[in-house]
Formats: sequence, structure tokens, C-alpha cells
Amino acid sequence: MNEAVAEPKASTTSVAPTLEMRGITKTYAGVAALSDVSVEIRPGEVHAILGENGAGKSTLMNVATGGTQPDAGSILVAGSEVPPLTPRLAASLGIAIVHQHPAVLPDLTVMENLEVALPAAVLRGDGGRKAVAERLLERVGLEVDLQDRVEQLTVAQRHLLEIAKAFAVEPSLLILDEPTAPLGDAAVRRFFGLVREAVDRGVSVVYITHRMAEVRELADRVTVLRDGRTRGTAAVAEVSDDELLSLIVGRKLESTFPPKLSAIGEGHDLVLDGLSGPGFVDVSAKVPRGAIVGIAGVVGNGQTDLLRALAGLETFRGSIEVGGRSRSAKDLLHHAAYMPSDRHGEGLAMSLSVRENAAIAALRSFTTGPFVRRGREQDALRESLGSLSVKAPSMDAPVGALSGGNQQKVVIARALLSEPMLLIADEPTQGVDVGARADIYAILRDASSSGIPVVVASSDTKELEGLCDQVLVMSRGQVVATLTGDEITEERMVSAAVGSRTSALETPEALRSEHVTGFRRFIQGDYAPSALVTAVIVLLAVFISVQNGDFLSAFNLTTILTAATAIGFLALGQNIALLTGGIDLSVGPLAGFLVVVASFFVNDGASPGRVALGLLLMLAVALATGLINGALIRYARFTPIAATLALYIALGGLALLLRPQQGGYISQDFQGFVTLSFGPLPLFFIVLVVVAVLMELALRRTRWGWRLRATGSDEDAARTVGLNINRTVILGYAATGLFVFLAALMFMGQYGIGDPTQGAAFTLTSITAVVLGGTSLLGGRGTFIGPLLGALLLQQVLSATVFLGLGTVFQYYFQGALILVAAIVYTTGRIRRRRRAVPA
Amino acid sequence: MIAKRVRMSTSTRQEPRLLSSARFPVSKGLITIGAATVLLFVVCAVFAQSSVSPTALQGMLPIAAVLAVAGLGQMLVVQQGGIDLSVAGAMSLAVVTVTHLPDQNNGLLLPSVLLAVVFAVVAGLANGLLIGALGLNPIIATLGTNALLYGVNLGISGGRPTITTTALQNVMTDSVLGIPYSVFFAIAALVLVTVLVRRTVPGRRFEFIGANPRAARAVGLRTRLHQTSAYVWAQLLYCLAGVMIAGITAQPSAYSGDSFLLISVAVVVLGGTSLLGGRGFPLATVIAAVFLQQLVQFVLALGVSTAIQTVVQAAALAVGVSLYTVDWPGIWRRVTGRRRRVPTATPA
Repeated sequence: MNEAVAEPKASTTSVAPTLEMRGITKTYAGVAALSDVSVEIRPGEVHAILGENGAGKSTLMNVATGGTQPDAGSILVAGSEVPPLTPRLAASLGIAIVHQHPAVLPDLTVMENLEVALPAAVLRGDGGRKAVAERLLERVGLEVDLQDRVEQLTVAQRHLLEIAKAFAVEPSLLILDEPTAPLGDAAVRRFFGLVREAVDRGVSVVYITHRMAEVRELADRVTVLRDGRTRGTAAVAEVSDDELLSLIVGRKLESTFPPKLSAIGEGHDLVLDGLSGPGFVDVSAKVPRGAIVGIAGVVGNGQTDLLRALAGLETFRGSIEVGGRSRSAKDLLHHAAYMPSDRHGEGLAMSLSVRENAAIAALRSFTTGPFVRRGREQDALRESLGSLSVKAPSMDAPVGALSGGNQQKVVIARALLSEPMLLIADEPTQGVDVGARADIYAILRDASSSGIPVVVASSDTKELEGLCDQVLVMSRGQVVATLTGDEITEERMVSAAVGSRTSALETPEALRSEHVTGFRRFIQGDYAPSALVTAVIVLLAVFISVQNGDFLSAFNLTTILTAATAIGFLALGQNIALLTGGIDLSVGPLAGFLVVVASFFVNDGASPGRVALGLLLMLAVALATGLINGALIRYARFTPIAATLALYIALGGLALLLRPQQGGYISQDFQGFVTLSFGPLPLFFIVLVVVAVLMELALRRTRWGWRLRATGSDEDAARTVGLNINRTVILGYAATGLFVFLAALMFMGQYGIGDPTQGAAFTLTSITAVVLGGTSLLGGRGTFIGPLLGALLLQQVLSATVFLGLGTVFQYYFQGALILVAAIVYTTGRIRRRRRAVPA
Repeated sequence: MIAKRVRMSTSTRQEPRLLSSARFPVSKGLITIGAATVLLFVVCAVFAQSSVSPTALQGMLPIAAVLAVAGLGQMLVVQQGGIDLSVAGAMSLAVVTVTHLPDQNNGLLLPSVLLAVVFAVVAGLANGLLIGALGLNPIIATLGTNALLYGVNLGISGGRPTITTTALQNVMTDSVLGIPYSVFFAIAALVLVTVLVRRTVPGRRFEFIGANPRAARAVGLRTRLHQTSAYVWAQLLYCLAGVMIAGITAQPSAYSGDSFLLISVAVVVLGGTSLLGGRGFPLATVIAAVFLQQLVQFVLALGVSTAIQTVVQAAALAVGVSLYTVDWPGIWRRVTGRRRRVPTATPA
């Protein structure tokens, strides 16, 4: 096959290849993902990369786009060698990629997703930014409103958005990683047309796929990878399906398998009939007693969904019969043992010990009275772990410290100890070394011989060939072949999976998009909480002033607005921290500390220079606090609560250190200045409103705002889009500090003295104001108007209790009820929306 | 099976070793905070003898005991990946309930304690349901209940302190062998929490759910129920802590709980329990409470400003957290130039 690779080199003398990768090698923890891979992409060709799961396709493309640095090899773009690629450099060289999992930000709108991911120049064009953006969407056939939140888009629509972003930059090389997986027929047609148009313009396309049909339809040349090596490159027209298939399959048999079921036993222990659920339809199977059934197919074609339904973790229609009786999802949840493919996320509690993980499903069998008997637990575990030959320093070792194979054996031990009626294993040997694989195969075989039906899904067809007595091959959620006995060969499975022409499953829940317009969009939008709070403020004001006319007096209004100004600035600062997905507990004590600092400089009779120095010092302390908070969170990996709690305590102490008692009167002139008002309107309240509006505009219209919300919305996707997360978060906390500085100026005016104990309580007040304003504590979502209104409402409620003669008791009741009602209203609405949008 | 045997004998070590399990596992958090506490007492004994005098210790231990009990409650919540800001309101309400209602009448003490327990259960259920069932963020939900608890508190007390009952005062301040009774309450709470979490089936499940809720769900455990229970147990412990304050202090303030709010989070973190949830370390949490309070005594004895103690507490917290989150050996290797196994230096 090496000739096939070498052949094009001779013919490239005229035109340099768009991209050439030479001798790329990449090793992960001693395992070669790519060994000496060379590929050349010519101008204006569609180059398919074909191979099984784990063949190295995605790793190779990550190398091409700068997501992964190779250990060896060189990359040439348009004939000249380039330095090690970064995502940014790759983009500037005209390389764009459509990721298999769209890097979109759920809390941002479609428009904002385009704006944050694309260079500013792309959206400049005829008719303004919106017109350009609409044309981009129209091109890929994405029919959504630019103001729709991406969260509300279906999986297919998100994918189209990802495709739109890639086409928007007019790349010279476009990499498409399994682009059609979630798309329906019509969308695939349109997409193919788009790819052809691009090719006609001279764009080179790398097309990664599992489907031979798509290769035939679209590609000019094809390169096959297997086990991280180039198996060959050929012109699509000159190679037959069988030839390609023989290149794809043929992995070396690495493990020994236990003997298969010799004689098919009587009866069926597991019968699936017309089983449908999210991600799969109409699956039927009869599994003979003692048989291991395998689920084959390209990853992400419904295998995992089917397994989760069998484990009782998903709802399903149709019937699952185990041991002759029909089982509900609840039965299955409690009596079937599920070994998930994602051992870290769903399989094990990595921080807990081997013992705790292995015993968790069988604790009831070790008890006497209310207590778990150590002796019985240990004996049972020792025997189980010993018989599975788990290698660990001791039962107390954290399971996270074990090798992948031993971790998987702990999962199996847990499953077997729970005496399950059904054993379901998703990718049981992924990340497991060769020796342990053989052990795991033997254990699964033993379990099935002992009468527990065993279902195994694997992307390693060779493994299914060696292990299973019956195999269901799935494609796009449907069973496309059921193989038994001698039919169970790698070739049969792969050809059924890659040869399938089934189209994406149109499950109604997954693919119907929510078309929202006008009023409903507003209700689901960021400003609904603000409108709600405004309404409450107005109604409350009317109600109180009916009871007591003095409420609307100029004096009282000034009092409320003055107090709201300080809290408002604090809330705007807190809001920034929350938007990044963090929290800043230190805002209150920082404000208090800044006032204490001021009490040494901003006094009556102090020279203007001294006052200026004091203010500068305050500003510096505020910014430094923000930077320290941010640095602790990003670089020292503190949780935001731990980091800002440390600063909270420290600043409280420092304030006491400087001023053990109250002291240091703030100059009258300064107090007069910050409490200046025009009629009932304090000057700085106007400043606050202006600042909040400006911040709001910045949040919606500037790159800073998009970055902030993108980071809080989905850190990984934001990183993939090319944002610098560390810088965004750390500068965000510095900005929080800046607002605390402004709040401190207000407190100077209100208290007029350096008080070391003042401040701490304002942290919770600031959080309350922001929550009332509708900013999500999960990050990524909120406004600057909301917190301002929240602060206003809080002060109004305080004043209300006085004017209604209700006393402090009601202050607390009102405040508590406000927070909880607001949180319930905002949260439950949001959860419902989230649930609908979760990909099936 | 044959294939397995063959492989076992050729490629792996002899017989599968039988695994052992220690009866009393010692955590990194316990070693860290335990060593720090021992060191602190040594330093105290050398540089500020008065801070380890019996009088000083008898002053320190009751407060440490209260903080320990509150910290244990906070720990249960933190284990489930939550945080409980209603510590302040809950403790203050308990204080007010067992001081204002009896109004120095010893006969009414027991009923008022029972009422405090009822408040605790209701508040715990409220928190638990808001967070576990409705999916509210723990910070918001407990902030809200905190305000409501203070509403009830002021309804009872009007914000004024009152003199505590002699009965409660005796129960909390009498001592055996120089050890105040309040310390025994803290020890009882520690034993209860440890046994419940480590030795019962619900406790073991509780810990597993905290460490990985998704895995717990895949095993078929009732994650929401356990998450809700965390807030109820926590409230019961805050209630105990509040009652302890009411006995230790002659005329406890209606806002007694406020000063324990964030410091209760600090002792949990110092004890090695991650704010992201997972395993809790009750003994280490209690020792961290002693550590922070002894730090106060030390600073007092040195005669420098009391403010230093707060700054030192903050530093202790920062250092404590960084021991768990920062890869210090890695940084040391980088600083000293031994670059052999630094992952960022060599793309391996």
C-alpha cells in the first residue's frame, strides 16, 4: 500500500497540495494512536478518511487543526512547512473543521454563537451583520431565528449551525468529522450539494466517515486507516467495496477468547419485542439460554441507548422479558447490572475505595440489624475480587489509582455481587490491557453459563466475533442485521454497519424544533425576570403609597435610591462572577475593607493629593483582590467558593488590623459629593443606571460580553471555539473588584467612618439582588439590568416594612419569600426547557 | 476457563493476592490537619504558655465544640456537592427557641428543645425538597430559608437577647476531669455521624451518591432522597450547635449563628472534604474546628491584635485547600529543573 501513498507525490509538481501531513506519530500513555501516518490533500478534492472506531481518524484531524500536537512528523500547508499548529494558527491558514460534537454555546443565541466563533470581518457585508448571518444559515438550510437560544435547537440544528460556522470562514481546507450522523435525508442531500459547491470553488474537503455509501457518492480519493496506520490511499472510482472492506477490517487478534456456547440450550432467557426508545426503534431479539448477545455498529448508532433502556435508565415502549417475565424499567433499574462505557463518569466513584465501589450494590446482604458487618463484607469482597484476580494495593486503595482493566473488574465484581437478573456491558474492554481483556471475556462467559443473560456492546468487532453467540448490528437506531453462529464475523458486521443506507431516526422529541415567536420568546428570554421584578416594584409601590402616602415622598425615595445604589454596584460586580459560572463571596468584606482604607486618606483637611492617593490605593486593592480570586480559581484550581471564602476571611481580618475600632471620619465634602441628589434622584443612582445600561450593551454587543457568557455557558465548547478561558475568568473577577470599589465609594458616603465590621453582610445581599434579577448561578445567562432592579426591590421591601408598620420580622419573611419564589419561578421554567433540549 | 488459566500463568504474577482492608483508614486530610494541630499546640506550649493553660483550654473547647458540630452538619451537605448558608439562621433560631420560650424557667426547657428540633426538621425538609426535588441551586435555596428562619427568630425574640436557663447552662458548662460537657456533645455528634455514614447501608449509599451521583443512579440508588436527607441531618446538627451556644453563653444573642456561617465551610474544607462533593471526613472536620479555635487562643496569648487571628485563619484555609488542589511535587520538580516527568513539558 505504500506505493499508493507515494504515487501522488510524483504528480504534485504542478500544484502544491492544500495540506500534507508526513510521518505523523502520536502516542498516548505508551499506546500509539497514530504511527507514521502520511496523507496528502489536493486542491479541490474530497478526500475521505475511512476506518473503524479507534483507527485514529479523529486524532489525525485534531493534529491537522492544531487541537493535538504530534510527537513526530511534519505538516505542510500549500507546499511550505508550518510550525506546530494551534487552533488559531490553523484557522488563519484557512483550515476549518466541523466537529463530531458541535462546539456551540447553549446559553447564547444563534447570532451570538456566530459572532463569538467567527472573525469580525466575516460578518461585515451587504445589508449588515444580521443579513450576512441570515445568509450563512440559509446556505446550510438552517431555519431558525437568529435570536433563538441555541439551547432550544435540536441536535441536528446544532450540527447545521456548526457546519454554517465552518463554511462562513471560506476555508481553503474543510474537515468534516462524521457530519451527517444526526441529519435526516433532506438535510444530507442539501449538505452534499453544499460540499460539491465548495469543491467547485476549489476548496479541499476531508471527509471522515464510517459509511461507504457516502464515500462513493462524494469522495474523489479515499485513505483507509487501521490501528493508527495508513492502510492505503486510492481513487474511489478505481477501488471496489470489497477491496475497501478488506483494508478496514483485519485487525490482529490480540486476546484469547473462552469457547463459545457449544449447544444452543432450550428456551430463551432474554426476549426483546418491538423495543423503541430515545435513539432506537423496533428492536426485537430472542436470546437463547446461556448465550452472550453482542450489539455491533458504528459508535453512536443507538447501541448505548438500547443498553441504557435494558438497564432501566431510559423509558421504552415494547417489552423486555427476562427469565420468562416482562420487566418494567423500575425492575430493571434495581435488578439488572449495568456496566457503562464511561467508567469515570458513570461507572465508578473514583475517589472512593475499591471496597466501597465493589460493595455498593450488595450492601443489604452484609447487614445485621442496621449495621454493615465489616467481616462479612470483607470476606465476600475478598473472594469476589480474588476470583476476578483484581490487582490493587489493598481494598482501601482509591479505585481511581487502579489500571483500566482492574477498574473494569471492580465494576464487574460489583455487578456480580448484586446477583443481577441481567448483565449489561457497554464497551467492557475499552482502555483495558490485553491480559485483563482475556480475564474479562472469561468472566462474562462464566456469568452467562451460570444463567445470567449477558448483553455486550462493543465498537471492537473482532471482540464481538470472538465472544458472542448472537450479534445484533445497529445503524441509525435500527437493527440492520442479526447474526448467529458462523455468521458472526468481523466482515459481516462491518459490511452491515458501513453498507447500511438507513437514514437518521426521526424521533419526534429529538428532532422537532421549538418555534418560538414574540411573547413566548420574551418569556423565555433573559429580560423576563427584569420585567417581572419591575412589575413587582411598581405594584408594591402603588400598594404601599395607598397605605401610607409618605412612601413616595422625595426624602424617602432618596433614601431608598441611595441605599440601592451601593447594593446595586455590588450586585453588578457579583453578577460578573456569576456569569462566568463562579461566585464571589469576598465582595462584602472587600467593600468594608476599602472604606477602612479610605478612612485613613479621605478625611477633612486632607490635601487633594492625599485623597487621590487614597482612592488610587482603594482601586489597586480592589483590582488585586479580583486578580487573586481569579488566579486561585484558574491556576490553583480552588473552587470559586473556597477561593473567595479565603479572601472573605482575610479581608475581614485586615480591616480589623487597620482599624480595631471605628474611626477615621470620611471628609464631609466627599460625603456630600457621593450623596448629591437632583430632587429625589441621587447623582450616583443615575450613574449606576447608566453604568448598568452600558454593561448590558457590552454584555450583548461586545466580544468581552460574549466571551464572558460563553465561558460560563460551556467551558469546553468555549475553549474549542478558541477563547482564552483563564484570561476571561481572571479579568472577570478583576472587573468584579472594580465594581466593589464603586460600591465602597457609596458606603463611604453612607457611613462616613471607617468601620471594620461593616461590609461582610453585604455579600449575601449582593447575591440575593443578582438572583432576583434572574442571573443563573450556573453561569452563562443573565443581564446587568436585572441585578440593578433586584437591588432596588430589596431596598424597597426594607422600606415597605417600615411604612406598613410591619417590623423587622417581615423584612426577613419578605426577603426569604422573594428569593425562593424567584428561584422557583426562574429555575423550574429553565429545567423544563433544558430537559426538552437534551439530545436523545 | 482454560484460556484464562494459561494467560494467568504466563503473563501475570503468581496467585491473585488476597486484598486487605484497614479497620480505621487514615485520610490525607486527617494527617494534614492532625499534624497541623499538633504542631500548633507545640508552638503554643513553647511561645505562649498561657494559651494552653487549663483556663484557656476550657474557654476554647466549648466554642470549638460548637463549631465542630456545625461543621459536621455543613460537611454532610458539602458531601452532596451542596453548600448550606442557612447555618446562621438555623443556629440562631435554636438559640432563641431554647432561651426565649422557657424564659429562665427550667421546666420549659425540654419542650422548647423539642420545638427547636421540629423547626430543624421542617427547615431541613424545606431545603432538601427545594434542592433535591425542585432542583434549585443550594446557595439560593439556603439563602432563602435562612431569611425565613430569621423571620421566625425575630418573631420569637424581637432581636433581643435573653438570659438562658440555669438547667441548660449547667448541662453545657459543667465539666468532668476538667473537660466541659459541651465537648462530650461534640464527640457524640462525631461518633453518630461517623457510624451512620460509614457503618449503615443508607450512610454508605449517601457517601457513594456524593462521590458520583451519575454512577449511583446507574447502580439504581435513590439519589434525590439521599440528597434531601443531607439537609435534614445538617439542620439537626445545627440545632444541637445552637442549643450548645445557648448553654455556654449566659445571655446569647439572637444572631449567634452568624459568626459560624462561613467558618463552618472553612472547617469542612480544611478537613479535606471537597466542595465538589464526595467523601466526608468527620474526624478531620472536628480537628479543624479545634485548630481554628486554638489559633485564636494563640494569637490572644501573644498579645498582638486579634485581627491577626482572622488573617491567619484565611491563610490556613488557603494553604489547606492548595494542599489538595495544587500539584506541589510537580511544581517543585519544575522549579528545581528536574523535568523528567512533567506532562506539559513533553507531549507524551
